[in-house]
Amino acid sequence: MSRVWTRDRRVVTAGGRQAAMATELDGEEETAAAAGKLTGSPQLSVEDDLREMAKNAAWSVSSYKPGNNVLSLRDDNLDTYWQSDGAQPHLVNIQFQKKVKLQLVILYVDFKLDESYTPSKISIRAGDGFHNLKEIKTVELMKPVGWVHISLSGNDPRETFINTFMLQVAILSNHLNGRDTHIRQIKIYGPRPNPVPLQPFHFTSQEFISYSTIR
Amino acid sequence: METLMVDRVQNSLRFFMHRNAIFLCERLCAEFPTEINLQLLATCYLQNGKAYCAYQILKGTSMPHSRYLFAMSCFQMNLLQEAEAALCPANEPNVEVPDGAAGHYLLGLIYRYMGRQALAIEHLMQALTLDPLLWAAYDELCVLGAIEEANDYFSDMAAQRIQQQYLSESSSLNSSNGSEFYNLSSNMAVTSVDSIPRQSKQLGNNTREIASLPLSVMIAKVPASNSGSSNFSQYITPPAATQLSGVAPPPLCRNVHVSFNVANNDVSTKLNNIAVQAPRRKVLDEGKLRKVSGRLFSDSVPRRSTRLSAEAIAVASSNATQVIGNGNGHTSTKFLGGFSSSSSSKVNAASSRSLTFRKGHSWISENFDEGRRSEAFDDSRMENMATTSSSTSMSGDSRYLEQGKAIGDLAQDSRLINGAQELLCLLRTLGEGYRLSCSYRCQEALDVYLKLSEKQFNTGWVLSQVGKIHFELVNYFEADHFFDLARRVSPSILESMDIYSTVLYHMKEEMKLSYLAKELLSVDRLSPQAWCALGNCYSLQKDHETALKNFQRAVQLDSRFVYAHTLCGHEYVELEDFENGIKCYQSALQIDQRHYNSWYGLGVVYLRQEKFKFAEHHLHKAYNINPRSSVLMCYLGMTQHALQRNEDALEMIERAISADKQNPLPVYQKAIILVSLECYDEALNELEQLKESAPHESCVYALMGKIYKRFEMHEKAMLCFGLALDLKPPAADVATIKAAMEKLYLPDEMDDTL
Repeated sequence: MSRVWTRDRRVVTAGGRQAAMATELDGEEETAAAAGKLTGSPQLSVEDDLREMAKNAAWSVSSYKPGNNVLSLRDDNLDTYWQSDGAQPHLVNIQFQKKVKLQLVILYVDFKLDESYTPSKISIRAGDGFHNLKEIKTVELMKPVGWVHISLSGNDPRETFINTFMLQVAILSNHLNGRDTHIRQIKIYGPRPNPVPLQPFHFTSQEFISYSTIR
Repeated sequence: METLMVDRVQNSLRFFMHRNAIFLCERLCAEFPTEINLQLLATCYLQNGKAYCAYQILKGTSMPHSRYLFAMSCFQMNLLQEAEAALCPANEPNVEVPDGAAGHYLLGLIYRYMGRQALAIEHLMQALTLDPLLWAAYDELCVLGAIEEANDYFSDMAAQRIQQQYLSESSSLNSSNGSEFYNLSSNMAVTSVDSIPRQSKQLGNNTREIASLPLSVMIAKVPASNSGSSNFSQYITPPAATQLSGVAPPPLCRNVHVSFNVANNDVSTKLNNIAVQAPRRKVLDEGKLRKVSGRLFSDSVPRRSTRLSAEAIAVASSNATQVIGNGNGHTSTKFLGGFSSSSSSKVNAASSRSLTFRKGHSWISENFDEGRRSEAFDDSRMENMATTSSSTSMSGDSRYLEQGKAIGDLAQDSRLINGAQELLCLLRTLGEGYRLSCSYRCQEALDVYLKLSEKQFNTGWVLSQVGKIHFELVNYFEADHFFDLARRVSPSILESMDIYSTVLYHMKEEMKLSYLAKELLSVDRLSPQAWCALGNCYSLQKDHETALKNFQRAVQLDSRFVYAHTLCGHEYVELEDFENGIKCYQSALQIDQRHYNSWYGLGVVYLRQEKFKFAEHHLHKAYNINPRSSVLMCYLGMTQHALQRNEDALEMIERAISADKQNPLPVYQKAIILVSLECYDEALNELEQLKESAPHESCVYALMGKIYKRFEMHEKAMLCFGLALDLKPPAADVATIKAAMEKLYLPDEMDDTL
């Protein structure tokens, strides 16, 4: 731990992150993890039994700068970003057509490129609509670069998923006290439905699966 | 000049020099714009895949064969109304369909794709009656579900009919040196090519014409029984002109043609046209036969195949001669049509993609469309028939010519009958097997196929049919085995490979599947099967969007390929885009109403949307088509249970269980239904059985845990839940099971999370 600290000090103050990213991140992660803050990873890693849920959802934002609107959040392009243009908190609203089970929210942010536009405190709220959103998770980020995975599960195994009509990602504050925020991509993950309809449980064995559908 | 041009065009066609052929033919038509020449030009275009050009030039023509060609081009351009109008003009309701069996077959196809099933069936039956060896028509009828008994079609009566047709043609020949020509033709062989011209000279009848082979014999016949050259055009309107696969003829035929050219110069242009067209047909036929023989005897010496195909030429040419000489042209034309239609029409029926594809390929390629294989079998049988009929004659052909022709005739006749009967016997077996597999009576179909001789069995078509049957029986291992064998026997087989990719998908064999997809793509990048295989590969990796793209590509390549549509539907449903999924399934059903996978797909969509009545209706349709599928029965049972009709559901489930003892799903469904009926003990019994047969299935333990919890046997329940979790179900189930475990010692909640 101490080794990491010393590496950290040398690098962080200079702001020149020419050294190996891995070590920096390690250091950052250690500190951040120690403080419970997320830093993001270069890879998007999601379990196989989860899938992206928000393709058919209605996305809206509280404000945006022309040219950096909500579409940039969903275009699978990490170079385009949404930029807000109003007062905090900045909100990204995702409304689904029916109640869905969600497990994971993943954002792509980049402190190195966005600096003071990078979110630092994010609150995730869920509910039936704007009128009854309730906060389910708050996370703090520490100079994140890459994909930030925010799990929506509770500690109880019963609470692996939240079942909701609407999700709201609220940016409460930014790094270096920036007013507006940049987010480059947001993805929402939930469990895959059972490929066989009307079943209480998924099938796991080859014997069951091979007889379970006609293709 | 016309003769010369026609000849050069023929020659170019033969050697695939399409641009040359088209150019010269266009000059020909400009110079001598007769309808016959137009037909030739249309043939050039059709052979080159330019159906639209053929369409343009043949618009408004009225000769039967022109109408046939026109209908063919319309069919390829998907202008089904016009195609129908060409073959069956609305204002002439009783006009004979041109080109007999071929015409009826084409008409059948047109009606099928227009969705007018009854008419399609009627015409296909007619085609089959006119030409009992038209396997392609039989194939279509099976797919349409209209065949009751294969024996009817490939019966001994059919053999009689074939014999009669041959005989009537040969008898008319007898009126003027018929038999000798017949002998000549059947005696043709590589070795005797040179001898024949000499022999024919001896006959001293228009020697220049007879100077070459039997082909030219036909020309000789023309003056002999000439009643007006116009008649001939009618009789000889060669269905061969519609030969769409350009296949390289063996060198033998080239010789024929060369000498033929020499003979031509003295004869009238009209006759030459006729004569020229007929040999082309034979060339193409025999080229196709060569293809067949190449496939059947894959390691045979080319010489043998040329010899065999030479014999086929013999038969073919004998047909031609008979046609010309025959007074009542219709039957023989039909027969003629039948003979080559079995080769040509199936090609026609093949999608146009096969045209473009085939152009570049070697003649030995195995890329058959459905039924072509069978058509190839058809031809191979004809070829063997020719073999049998001429095998003895070959050995002593010179002797034959000198001996009494009557003896030769009789021998020919009996050999003909034998040959026909043999062929029909083979077709009967194949037909029976195919029919049974189309009605999904899989076990019986398997038994029938096993009756085939080993040579026939170890061919791509039969092996892949057997593979398909095993696939329907959900014996994926055997299916894999047979498809693999099929691919080894004919490495570039494409037909049914989409089913093979589905087998591998079910078996979750990623490596094999991606290998298969790559191989298929390297064989033919433009075949829908290859893209279906690739799509299945992506789907297995859960990349449904790419899979969908691939299936859509397959659809683009051949919009009449049913399975691609169905697979698109499946992918849309995986992506939860039910609207588009339904559309895809419906387009699949428009092409083939008996594609039960699409009915099933629709049923599942409605199940997901919880529209249970609709779901039941569609699943029932699927079940009517395939009443032996235990999976379908299981789904029907599930749906009925959802509709609260538990007795029906249980009955259906029982049927599913008895239909396939290996299928664990119905047993599990039965347990679910029993639990909902609160018959917990029986449910437990079923689940105990399942534990034996599928010990690694998490849902079995999960359900057992639920039941024990109901009985308040908490330890057992805990044990079961623990086992269920050990088997690593997905996160959703983990949540449910853990929740159940937590609540184990709490009273059951009102809402049963089952």
